[in-house]
Amino acid sequence: MRPWEIGEEAISVARRLGADDVAVTVTERQENMVRFANDQITVVNTLRELSANVYLCLGRRKATINVLDLSRKGIEKACREAVGMASTMPEASLYAPLPTGPFVYDEVLTRRREVPGGPERTVHWVQEAIEEAKRCGATRTAGSLTAKNVVIHLATSGDARGVAYRPSLELSIRAFGEGLASGHSLSVSPDEEGFDPRNAGREAGELAKAARDPVKGSPGTMDALLGPMVFADVVGQVGRFASAFYVDAGLSFLAGKIGEQVAAGSLDLFDDPTDPSALGHSPFDAEGTPSKRKALLEGGVFRTYLHNSSTAAKFEVESTGNAGLITPMPYSLQVGAGRGSLEDLLSQMEQGIYVTNDWYLRYQNYSSGDLSFIPRDAMFLVREGKVVSSLKELRISDNVLGILKRIKALGGQRRWVRWWEVETPTLTPAALIGGVRFTASSQ
Amino acid sequence: MEDLLEHAVQRAGSLGASYAEARYQADRNESMILKNGTAEATSRRTIRGISVRVLVKGALSFGATNVLGKRSLTDLVGKVVKGAAAAAEHVRDPIRMAPAEMMVAEHRIRPRVSFDNVTLESRLELLQEADSTAVGTAEAAGISMPGRYMSLDALTTERLVINSDGARVRSLVPRVSVNIFLTVAHPERGAMQRIVSRGEVGGWEAAERWDLPNTLAQETKVLARILHQAQAFRGGKMDVVLGPEVVGLVSHESSGHPGEGDRILGREAAQAGETYLSRDSLGLRVGSELVNVVDDPTLPRSFGHYLHDEEGVKARRRYLIKGGVINEFLHNRETAAEFGVESNASSRSVAFDREPIVRMANTFVEAGDHSLEEMLEGVRSGLYIKNFMEWNIDDRRYNQKYVGLEAYIIQDGELGPMVRNPVLEITTPGLWGAVDAVGDELELHSAYCGKGDPMQGIPVSVGGPHLRLRGVRMEGSP
Repeated sequence: MRPWEIGEEAISVARRLGADDVAVTVTERQENMVRFANDQITVVNTLRELSANVYLCLGRRKATINVLDLSRKGIEKACREAVGMASTMPEASLYAPLPTGPFVYDEVLTRRREVPGGPERTVHWVQEAIEEAKRCGATRTAGSLTAKNVVIHLATSGDARGVAYRPSLELSIRAFGEGLASGHSLSVSPDEEGFDPRNAGREAGELAKAARDPVKGSPGTMDALLGPMVFADVVGQVGRFASAFYVDAGLSFLAGKIGEQVAAGSLDLFDDPTDPSALGHSPFDAEGTPSKRKALLEGGVFRTYLHNSSTAAKFEVESTGNAGLITPMPYSLQVGAGRGSLEDLLSQMEQGIYVTNDWYLRYQNYSSGDLSFIPRDAMFLVREGKVVSSLKELRISDNVLGILKRIKALGGQRRWVRWWEVETPTLTPAALIGGVRFTASSQ
Repeated sequence: MEDLLEHAVQRAGSLGASYAEARYQADRNESMILKNGTAEATSRRTIRGISVRVLVKGALSFGATNVLGKRSLTDLVGKVVKGAAAAAEHVRDPIRMAPAEMMVAEHRIRPRVSFDNVTLESRLELLQEADSTAVGTAEAAGISMPGRYMSLDALTTERLVINSDGARVRSLVPRVSVNIFLTVAHPERGAMQRIVSRGEVGGWEAAERWDLPNTLAQETKVLARILHQAQAFRGGKMDVVLGPEVVGLVSHESSGHPGEGDRILGREAAQAGETYLSRDSLGLRVGSELVNVVDDPTLPRSFGHYLHDEEGVKARRRYLIKGGVINEFLHNRETAAEFGVESNASSRSVAFDREPIVRMANTFVEAGDHSLEEMLEGVRSGLYIKNFMEWNIDDRRYNQKYVGLEAYIIQDGELGPMVRNPVLEITTPGLWGAVDAVGDELELHSAYCGKGDPMQGIPVSVGGPHLRLRGVRMEGSP
């Protein structure tokens, strides 16, 4: 059966079996990944997948199942199983009927798009990035390049019918230098035009070279310039914990904060799946609601939780078009640009630390936002606006809303970030933060 | 299925692969979520398909499909070999597979009580009873419990691996896990959170044995005491006793990860990171002579249990640190060849469409000879950290931080008042080197370990007995 036929069949069968709401997603996935380490390709990965998922409700009783056998018989079997599961469940606390169409989706967002992904091409891109990093000072490199072509066919009992094309090219390259120095850079894009592996290689190589022979940093509270990879991780916390599901579960530092000034007045943060040039763009969410651009933070004021139909009903608002069938989620985050270059931000620092990358962010308390994360790769001590030395072995132990409130300035140049540590595609500049608490191991 | 896999291996050979393996894997997961006492949804998901991994002229290539037919598989093998050929043009150091005894074996575990025989209502009742007990205990203790999130998962992994070196390994492993997230609050004393996880190989009998209602009642009472009683902690240099939950995490993060062969070779450098160890670190002293850390996939019922890895090598216990000295790294056949040793069966994959890579299984500090009372007796002024909430470690696995949740001052060998959020921020040799007593009771806790690209969260156990550290620097929280 063709993908759209699978959706129609599943809806028809599930309705016949008594389901009130049905949403069927059929996903065609082609991924080609090249991983490399020590300047050599370590593995080439190829994935071809066709999968279908059925979500249904009997009244307020919900169940989801994936369909393995995509024949009519297989679809019937899966739907019967899902109806059986739902019938034994109690009524969910969060429920609303699926949104009812027919919907009109943005034609630009539903246009067929794909990126090239054959091994000759991807291997060539990787070689380009490695060569450029080495030319710019790297002693060795490691990373991965992924070419994805994902097509999502959605059909719901609410008359939503649509196809979303979500191609992406993603390169993550880490370059190493002298004495534990390293630099990390990315090139991520929904199309070949915006993909620049050579530039990512150059930046990683230059950072690794500049960070040579780092010395152990001293703990203390001081200004920090968070590069785009770091600030994407921080604002990504707002995106993730704006989900009404986490708010409802007591797992969000944003609970009860709508309308409050939670960040500096200079910070605007949007979830915008409607931007066709954005990684993460989508014409609709998992329930078929047309995508919307929405402000999460406007002038530092927290504007909205992210909703699907069920959470929206509980909070007595409209869906924001961010389904997740169970858990609403951000699709594509964008931070409003500030002014000035990275050098301009550096020049505003009397004494502080410039952090280019981070990882391993963990919370002590999700409802307060107390957390820590670890600067990784190039990190520099800055005095009177100038980089004076390369640092290592520090940790940022702070509070996510505290960091956002202490923003002193945002850069004017934004870039897309998505990699191992940052799941939601995020367009962001660097951010200068006051009074960041750096800690370190004592022995 | 066996015929299909054989076809894939033979086809890869005929296209020029010097090594080929084919794996069928089906992962079935039935999940139930309870949020604030109400069931959110139940889901049943089976992910199954075939993967093929080949070595062509020293280049490795992996591919997977869930379209299970001879034509689809033939096409996949062609693409995988083509991918390897494209990479082979740039090979400087050819990848090899170390020689190993290839197993022909079958390992099927049958749960005592299969989840197939447990209705969804029964599962839900268990979670709801645990939830209402926790809420009632909180109310009785004068606090509220505004957030409860619970999931109960029944997972079954079926696997068949065939490779061109003669391995033929079939397994069926059922697992059950519960993950609970509690938020408690008090109007004047703030909010606090605790994650409770249980997991093992088996069936419903495990979920019943965990006695979740009683477990959550005890956890809630402790959280209430922390909220009501715990004092601010100033820090300082002192003796510290770590509970098994903390020790388990330390053994995983600061012994298991740094000793992974692929990490030492830089293969995870841009993702899960590197390590402070090098290939020359065998024999390096990193801790006191009391420290023995092992990783053992063969432990019955353990969450990370397996008897044969995904390259067809027989699993065995590995001594990672012996007497405080680095003793052994974790290897698959690829890293073993690079190090000139034998694989110790560390090749694991979380799903059919994920490349098998070097992973831990059940990592723990071996038990010693001290009771907890004996450990405490030896401390005049110190701290006991029973469990934690926040932790992290740098990508070289050298600098780590653990923030205590249930923690007590130790005064003259006795537990004193509770303290809030004490911070241990220390290097790996600093921590292992400070160990001067090892407890006599081993506890294992289930966890999921993240590594690889695409990310693979794989079931493991972490554990240990109590450990006593002499003279370490503790910090308070602001």
